[in-house]
Amino acid sequence: MRDIERTNGVEIDDTFAEAFTMKATRLVITARDIAWARHAAVSATGLATSVIACGCEAGIERELGEDETPDGRPGVAILLFAMSGKELVKQIERRVGQCVMTCPTTAVFAGLPQGAGEDVALGRNLRFFGDGWQISKVLQETRYWRVPVMDGEFVAQESTPVVKGVGGGNLLLLADDTDAALAGATAAVSAMRRGQGAIMPFPGGVVRSGSKVGSKYPGLIASTNDAFCPSLACLVPRSELGQGVRCVLEIVIDGLAEADVAKAMRAGIAAIVERGAQAGVRRISAGNYGGKLGPFHFHLRALAAPATAP
Amino acid sequence: MSHRLLLRQAPALRVDARLLSPATLQVLSADEVRRLKLPSGRDRIEVGEWFDVRPGDGDALHMAGDLSRFDAVGAGLADGVMEVHGPVGDAAGLGMSGGRLTIHGGARDLAGCAMRGGWLEVHGDIADLAASALPGDLDGMSGGTLVVRGRAGARLADRMRRGTVVLHGDAGDFAASRMVAGTLAIGGGCGAHAGWGMRRGSVVFAGAAPAVASTFADVASDADVFWQLLARDLARFGPPFSELKHRRVTRFAGDLAVQGKGELLVTR
Repeated sequence: MRDIERTNGVEIDDTFAEAFTMKATRLVITARDIAWARHAAVSATGLATSVIACGCEAGIERELGEDETPDGRPGVAILLFAMSGKELVKQIERRVGQCVMTCPTTAVFAGLPQGAGEDVALGRNLRFFGDGWQISKVLQETRYWRVPVMDGEFVAQESTPVVKGVGGGNLLLLADDTDAALAGATAAVSAMRRGQGAIMPFPGGVVRSGSKVGSKYPGLIASTNDAFCPSLACLVPRSELGQGVRCVLEIVIDGLAEADVAKAMRAGIAAIVERGAQAGVRRISAGNYGGKLGPFHFHLRALAAPATAP
Repeated sequence: MSHRLLLRQAPALRVDARLLSPATLQVLSADEVRRLKLPSGRDRIEVGEWFDVRPGDGDALHMAGDLSRFDAVGAGLADGVMEVHGPVGDAAGLGMSGGRLTIHGGARDLAGCAMRGGWLEVHGDIADLAASALPGDLDGMSGGTLVVRGRAGARLADRMRRGTVVLHGDAGDFAASRMVAGTLAIGGGCGAHAGWGMRRGSVVFAGAAPAVASTFADVASDADVFWQLLARDLARFGPPFSELKHRRVTRFAGDLAVQGKGELLVTR
């Protein structure tokens, strides 16, 4: 029998989200105006929803004002996460090279403080696109590369620090129907995006094809999360869904630190609870692997309790 | 312990003062400092012959007086702070690799020569070949920061390879000649042949525009991002550099007689 705790009518499962250590970095993309910085950021974080098949998970963290960027132009901060430092290096080079360097007027800088982690190449290898015409400048111990391109020059900081991040924080929103689930998820993601240090890498921050590890087919490493599929509620013996749940949506969270993920999850839960069960999201749950795989456990009821620490 | 060295009388001959560093003196008593011998002409003469040695306050080594016959003041400084009140001779801060040397006065030739790191600040004028190379060396200054509040003589930053030189006053002829890389910012006017033979590096003219040689090409495109990074970095040196980020810049690439990847940045 499940222990039931309701807040404003919303049931919070006595469970936890299990998250993993990932390699992470923050990049700052600037441009002549925010529209072009957005174009580059959206493009650079495209096809980066899950490490299962994308190589990395990435997303826009927030937009930056002119007083927050190294070159005094508007910018966008993006976060990238991968399972290994080697893969992250590959993804940074590929995405910045193809999506940022190509975008008119952009420049790219490390978004984490110097010394925050191991430095990996940002502009160090991309500079060779300059075919020998590239030049560099060291300003206060930081090297920048200037690569001639057709609109002037592309400026890229030589390296970016990579830190240990946390990937795989999640919330499962169990709702009366699709409209209620979408509205709840949208409200939750909107609240979660007000913070810093975390991204929700799926489209709109929301994933409908939540997965479990493994499959009946040997070639697949992940398959549908049948325990939370409403269409299988009456078919699979281990379904987690009760009567009346017709739609489940998941929000996956990656953060630069455990506290960033916790803060985002707390904001998401609070947004759902504030709307109340009458808005259609009746239960919040989370995915885990029994606590045996991931070192970070985010207990929903602890996060739903009034915050006592920042 | 720290010391204050007050010059009692100027030496008859030139003195090599490179031994007077904070690291060397802080482990010595005042008597030991007085008995320290410095090369002067063909002799080695005790410090006490010229200086009153008094206890200092803080960790810095202080020197005061007309030290224009003392060469290589702060040479080889790797750590610690030196404050000099008065003019110094040649090669002040020669081969510095760290620490901070402030000269409240002028310096003669070769100030900051072969400097590799640290911070050298001269409140007066400097003579020729500051931040340049030692005779026979291929590379001049290769790191650190040289700030000159007064004027500079000829061949400032000759063969400079890395680091930053900020000159608030006027520069003499051949500034940044044969420059390999690094940044030279000039707040005043500039003599003839600026950037002669420079291969890479940046020379910023925050004051009067120089006569640009025909071996430099006017670059048509913008370098706004780089300019903003550089201007914001130079702003820490105060006027006239603090407002550079609000100015437009014209970029000349050169010296095309050599590698041609250097640049003269003329502000307006």
